[in-house]
Amino acid sequence: MRRRRMSGRRISPFWALCVAAGILVVVFVAMPAASMLAGAGAGLLGEALRQDDVRRSLVLTVSAALITTVIGFVAGVPLAYLLARKEFPGKRAVEGLIDVPIVFPHTAAGIALLTVYGRQGIAGRLLAPLGLEFTETVAGIVLAMLFVSLPFLVDGSREAFALVDERYEHVARTLGSSRFGAFARVTFPQAWRGVLAGALLMWGRGISEFGAVVILAYNPKVISVLTFERFEGFGLRAAQPPAVLIVLVAFLVFVLVRALSAPRRRRSGTEPP
Amino acid sequence: MIELSGLEVVAGGFEVGPLDLRVDDGRYVVLLGPSGAGKSLVLEAVAGVRRAAAGRAVIEGVDVVGLPPERRRVGLVFQDGLLFPHLTVAANIAFGTRGGRGGERRGEVERLAEKVGVVGLLTRRPGSLSGGERQRVALARALAAHPRALLLDEPLSAVDPEAREGLQDVLRRVCRERRLPVVHVTHDRHEAFALADECAVLIDGRLHQTGRPLDVLRRPADAAVARFLGARNVMRARRDPRDHRVALLADGGSLRTADELPGEAVLVVRPEDVRLAPATPDGSLTATVTRLTLQGGHVLVRLEVPAALDALVPAAEVERLGLAVGLRVAVSVRPTDVHVLPAG
Repeated sequence: MRRRRMSGRRISPFWALCVAAGILVVVFVAMPAASMLAGAGAGLLGEALRQDDVRRSLVLTVSAALITTVIGFVAGVPLAYLLARKEFPGKRAVEGLIDVPIVFPHTAAGIALLTVYGRQGIAGRLLAPLGLEFTETVAGIVLAMLFVSLPFLVDGSREAFALVDERYEHVARTLGSSRFGAFARVTFPQAWRGVLAGALLMWGRGISEFGAVVILAYNPKVISVLTFERFEGFGLRAAQPPAVLIVLVAFLVFVLVRALSAPRRRRSGTEPP
Repeated sequence: MIELSGLEVVAGGFEVGPLDLRVDDGRYVVLLGPSGAGKSLVLEAVAGVRRAAAGRAVIEGVDVVGLPPERRRVGLVFQDGLLFPHLTVAANIAFGTRGGRGGERRGEVERLAEKVGVVGLLTRRPGSLSGGERQRVALARALAAHPRALLLDEPLSAVDPEAREGLQDVLRRVCRERRLPVVHVTHDRHEAFALADECAVLIDGRLHQTGRPLDVLRRPADAAVARFLGARNVMRARRDPRDHRVALLADGGSLRTADELPGEAVLVVRPEDVRLAPATPDGSLTATVTRLTLQGGHVLVRLEVPAALDALVPAAEVERLGLAVGLRVAVSVRPTDVHVLPAG
């Protein structure tokens, strides 16, 4: 007993290295975040909320990301379910394609979108008569957010659905449920945490998007564009209030996602498969 | 009644069938076979969660092949119960109940819970139940939807041996009381013999034999069935030209049979039917003990005739004979215990 405690106190160089590296990483990440949160405490948050353009920008950003997430939910969840349940030719390619926006530099994503949805693009020309324009409009912001954030919802939902044994649906159907009924009563109630976590990640990703949005719609200004503009035009001090605000919102989303994900992991640990 | 005719299922290059099987109301049929034989595929095809490649599955006069599972009214219970983890036991049982007011449905759930013995568990979540309790709830849930047939896929495999017998009784009782045709899939022959009115032996996707458990056990249709059912001694032999009721074993020695033999034959002898006695100089068949393995209250004795022969002997008998490796013993088998199959 005593010997073990003695050896426990002597940390091996290997673990010392891991711990030292860990501390560096934690400090590196924590410092800017803490500085922003301290800024919020120091009145920057109040200052931000008193400024008209910041307030407007916040509402625009949050609601555009919300619209994006709703569209993503309607389109992405069925796809995620399909990918989780069915094998079909080209499935791997589809899965890869869904994730492509993650590795695109986001400004490049914006350019790519512009070539398709811009005034000269195929889709742009088709949709213009319907009143849908994507340059310098909220629709453009949503489009840019959707492109870069959809993978988070599709991947998260697909994983959540895949964790639900398909035979639950088989049982539900022998008990009289239709295909949709089995999904709604059995699969979704078991997978909703993962789907919601994916949706929140998508929403958070949409809120923080800059590169793709700025290419399609400099105006109206989402909060990341506003922050950039203020920094370019008026310097660090002017850029701080919107930056603090967006960090707080992002932090909130992050906490929610963590809270949603954690209990699921614990539950799946205690319940037999 | 379930009547399968020419039913074929294909899954990833593996073909099951064509399969013919009839299960009358109130009859308990066990589909028995080694793992990978395709037993579960058959159940899935009958339940409708897997497409049948060909053939018919008639339930109460209606061919259900082509109907979606929700319109087949077939109860399905899996090995691990697969209770919906987000619902209480009561909500699980109530899942398939249709129509009726809340009170009626609650009454129905309570009646079923009582029938299968889970009344005290209604407010619990599946995660906190034992394997046996889960299977009881799964059974109640299947019955609540008023199925016309019950399909059970290895329903006892995840249940403790102590809880198994009680659950077997419940399964038999439900089948009888509700006059339901039951198909129970298992790889465990003891389970099959304990439960079945009729056994259907499925090996490598093909139905080899159907019949009463004792018939299947005593008179396996072929060597594959014999081996699967634990008849460890499956030997090639030919008829003695001088006596058509004596089989000359390919590896030496001879056995007397009850019926006349064909020219070439395969003999099946269950190890429990092999009798051992102290060797005598005039004994027709003597063998050397090469291995002793304790199995429950019995000992599996491996013998060299010189052909390999297994005998299952009560432990007390082993002591009485003083069996030990290297000992010579006289081996005898009653002619009626030698099951003769045509060679091929």
